[in-house]
Amino acid sequence: MAKQAPAALPVTPPRRLSGRRARQWIDAFGMLLPTILGVLIFFLVPLGISFYLSFTDARLFGDPNLVGLNNYQRALSDPTFYRAMWNTAAFSMVTLIVSTVPALLLAVILNERIAGRTFFRAVFFIPVVASVVGVTLLWRYLLNVDFGFVNYAIRLLGFEPIPWLTRPEWGLASVILVFSWKTIGYNMVIFLAGLQGVPPQLYEAASLDGASRWQQFLYITVPMLSPTTFFVLVTTLINCLQVFDVPVALGLTRSNTVGPADSMLTIVPLLWREAFIGGRMGYASALAWLLFVIILLLTLIQFRLSRRWVHYE
Amino acid sequence: MASLILRRPWERGLAYLILSLTGFVMIFPFIYMALSSLKPSTEVVQVPPTLWPSEVRWSNYLEVLSIVPLGTQLINTVIVTVLVVLGWVITSVLAGYAFARLDFPGREFLFGAYLATLMVPFAVLIVPMYRLMLVFGWVDRLEALIVPWLFTAYGTFLLRQFFMSVPKDLEDAALIDGASHWGILFRIFLPLARPAIATLATFAFLYAWNSFLWPLIIISSPSNKVVTQGLVDLQALYAARVDLIMAGSTLAVLPTLIVFLFAQRYFIEGIATSGLAGR
Repeated sequence: MAKQAPAALPVTPPRRLSGRRARQWIDAFGMLLPTILGVLIFFLVPLGISFYLSFTDARLFGDPNLVGLNNYQRALSDPTFYRAMWNTAAFSMVTLIVSTVPALLLAVILNERIAGRTFFRAVFFIPVVASVVGVTLLWRYLLNVDFGFVNYAIRLLGFEPIPWLTRPEWGLASVILVFSWKTIGYNMVIFLAGLQGVPPQLYEAASLDGASRWQQFLYITVPMLSPTTFFVLVTTLINCLQVFDVPVALGLTRSNTVGPADSMLTIVPLLWREAFIGGRMGYASALAWLLFVIILLLTLIQFRLSRRWVHYE
Repeated sequence: MASLILRRPWERGLAYLILSLTGFVMIFPFIYMALSSLKPSTEVVQVPPTLWPSEVRWSNYLEVLSIVPLGTQLINTVIVTVLVVLGWVITSVLAGYAFARLDFPGREFLFGAYLATLMVPFAVLIVPMYRLMLVFGWVDRLEALIVPWLFTAYGTFLLRQFFMSVPKDLEDAALIDGASHWGILFRIFLPLARPAIATLATFAFLYAWNSFLWPLIIISSPSNKVVTQGLVDLQALYAARVDLIMAGSTLAVLPTLIVFLFAQRYFIEGIATSGLAGR
């Protein structure tokens, strides 16, 4: 009914209408022009070049020659690539837990009506905003085997000091520690936003029905929070797979290994080293596309699995 | 909202214990950094470690600024950051408004495609971007740190969402009065969008101030480097002078902490909004 009403109004002449439409197109084009130019020159063109280079023997300078799938084959038979893959996988799997479970716990606590919640929220968020390189250098000294405060605390508790940054078997643990320390506050804020979106009536109804607090958490909070949890897991995983700043600032040595015996070497630092220290740009481009495919696949798998446990309202 | 989980006193006590311990772990490194930056150089590497400086040496800051061009690098970082923040805000406001409020063919497709660019890892772009900068003659120049980074799909998304929430009556009235879309954007939408713009600006600030990988690749002369690179150089050259490295780190970290202090709300709201995008 309501839709028919405008027909009764005096009709605008079609010529003016199309003129106004054309104006709108022109305005839209003008407003989008900077973005279109930016995406074209600094995204689409490089994306195409990168794909092309991955099939060439491009070096730092000079003209590249096509070499077919050589770069990809080489990656799949390169022990350093497997080392970086393994490090990235191990780092991501552990970080996915260490940087999310405490974040959820803190968010649940801060979602309660307690004094000082804005203060604590701000405090937990400080590592997120601080320069990654700045704080990572700082951790280099906190983790020092002799004068670092972390080992001081470990000694006080009666254990042997841990050679965090000097032994290969501890390299990855150090990266996980620093990265998680920096990420927990970020994930906490997202969880907190998700928790605040859960309608309080649900809890009221459940407690009237005699549900215990633990049951309420398990059967209301967890499913209602699942879209947020899913978002946190996907973004954390994508960020983990692309980690660069922390391992490089924490572990880069004079001989360009990342951590002792490359123990902190993940995919992006390897790619950077191949391209800009080794000068093997074609090979590095192939590594980049392998990483892209891995990220796409893992994201796709996460979306598939999410159908089983994520509940949208 | 009422307390759902913490009802008994001991539960609240446990909650405060967890919060305080975590808070300590989050804050202590910064306290260590600030105090170490004021210590005599031998005291920083003392075993067992001490926290308070036996004497306060502000001269560490003068020394660090004199042995590496960290002052120039801080200025470079400020220039790059200011321009990138401006670029993000301007391009996102314009594109966000067009996607939210204007009708043109291919709008949904273009917006979707723009969002899809977020899927591509930056690592894919670094090698071709380097070659592009060679062509432009921007290798080792600040232009390389600014011009390619003036637009953002994330910011466009943020402002589009915001502009879509503005009631339509506002612009209809203006359109009837004969205002153009540019006029409507600047006179009606822009003042309304201040909180969203503040959120975007704080994100742009963080992104630009802390960026490391791209400067590491494209800038090589010390006087053109940004502060993150300067810190890594400082660490490589003077690894034994922990006092100086901590002074340098303090100089790099302090501006972000100050901005955070004033713009805390926008940081946290921005992240909460991007998190809700997952819903």
